[in-house]
Amino acid sequence: MSVRPDNRLADGPMTPVSCTTCGARVEARKSSWEQTTVQWHADAVERCLERRASSPRSGPNGAAFAGCEALRASIREAAVRGDLTVQDGAPLPTNPEHPHPASPHPDGPDHEVIHA
Amino acid sequence: MSAAPDEVRHIEAEAAPTRYARGWHCLGLERDFRDGEPHGIEAFGGKLVVFADRAGDIKVLDSYCRHMGGDLSQGQVKGDEVACPFHDWRWGGDGRCKQIPYARRVPLRARTQAWPTLVQDGMLFVWNDPEGNPPPADVTIPRIEAYDDPEFTDWVWYTTTIQGANCREIVDNVVDMAHFFYVHYSFPTYFKNVFEGHTATQFMNGESREDILPPPKEGRPPAVKAQTSVASYHGPSFMIDDLVYHYDDFDVPAVLINCHYPVDADTFVLQYGVTVKKLPGLDDAAATKMAEKMGNFIRLGFEQDVAIWKSKARIDNPLLCEEDGPVYQLRRWYEQFYVDVADVTPEMTERFEFEIDTTRPNEAWRREVEENLARRDVTSDATSGQPA
Repeated sequence: MSVRPDNRLADGPMTPVSCTTCGARVEARKSSWEQTTVQWHADAVERCLERRASSPRSGPNGAAFAGCEALRASIREAAVRGDLTVQDGAPLPTNPEHPHPASPHPDGPDHEVIHA
Repeated sequence: MSAAPDEVRHIEAEAAPTRYARGWHCLGLERDFRDGEPHGIEAFGGKLVVFADRAGDIKVLDSYCRHMGGDLSQGQVKGDEVACPFHDWRWGGDGRCKQIPYARRVPLRARTQAWPTLVQDGMLFVWNDPEGNPPPADVTIPRIEAYDDPEFTDWVWYTTTIQGANCREIVDNVVDMAHFFYVHYSFPTYFKNVFEGHTATQFMNGESREDILPPPKEGRPPAVKAQTSVASYHGPSFMIDDLVYHYDDFDVPAVLINCHYPVDADTFVLQYGVTVKKLPGLDDAAATKMAEKMGNFIRLGFEQDVAIWKSKARIDNPLLCEEDGPVYQLRRWYEQFYVDVADVTPEMTERFEFEIDTTRPNEAWRREVEENLARRDVTSDATSGQPA
């Protein structure tokens, strides 16, 4: 029983991204600004500072690490810079009444992309 | 390898594996095995016998007597042993034949298969491993504190046998966001999966569907407005869903178990259990009723799952859109339980995250809910609360 590749990767592959905080290298993919796929490897898990500093949440599933905010921001920045393709090609959403919480530089590179 | 745009896509599927997953499998509530009788359980392509010895320890053996093949589950518990109904051979929980009342001595190598067991939080688990190794110390089922907490109800438990479907179908559910709307009548607004090691987690927030809830009416108890859920598979078959039901003025924490064990490649037993925190002012009976109500809603969803599973095709090459979850990566994770330990690759266990963009699904579903509500308003039969 061999597992096949995800058909969606034919439209756009996973792309290496490094965390700007700890340097952990992962592969990421974004089909839209709000969708993110992250493939970690053992060295990245070891390197991740948030992961190391995290303690289990309460509850029976508390051991599951929900994710690293610094890595999330790094992936978003890579997408804003254009190093990571956002598959649907939509411009960065800029609704001022609903700013994206993870937006790294609200007055920075966002505008460059919008006007690009 | 790009296919021509107008080429027909074909469903591909290998036969379901005849090997059974390595891991802890819950067989049900421990209390159901403590009546002094042997219990037969068809599982892992064979039959198990489950019985409690005099110390109250629950033992699990292959149910077929190594003497002449009698079914031990049809026999009796005698002392610490299970006695075969055919010739009264006595088998201990360690798998060894302890006594043959009519024989001078027990033959050499009179040993049958015994399954390692775990009794925890009211449930009985067996460790299945085709390679015959004991469970590693780091492969465990986490404790569920709610079970010991007097503020929570006892388990409300359901068992159902699903024929005509391989258990991979239910495991797929953990990544299948859209089916929660169509099959389980929920409305996911946030959805993220994380796979790591032997756990697969789903973080999901959802709202209730107004078109499914009965219309608000004076005197009707308040309905759940939303829920926050963290659900993890701990191994191939046992999921704990740690969730909070949000009402207008209060929250109700609950734990839902969703587990299964394979009977054969085409049949599995699905079990689910619910415990909820008793609201202040609710007595035990009322709180249990609340857990039953939640259980019944969950059962409705599972019954609809079953109808789908029984009629659907097994598919190894699902055609996914970007709003679907990580089905392929889940199956890559799931594969680790079907190969020898030595053949588990990093790809199967390395951390993987997938967060779905719910914007578009939520727009579509909001529209659909509105349409269902409008239709409900114009039909005279406004009592059922079901979409047309």
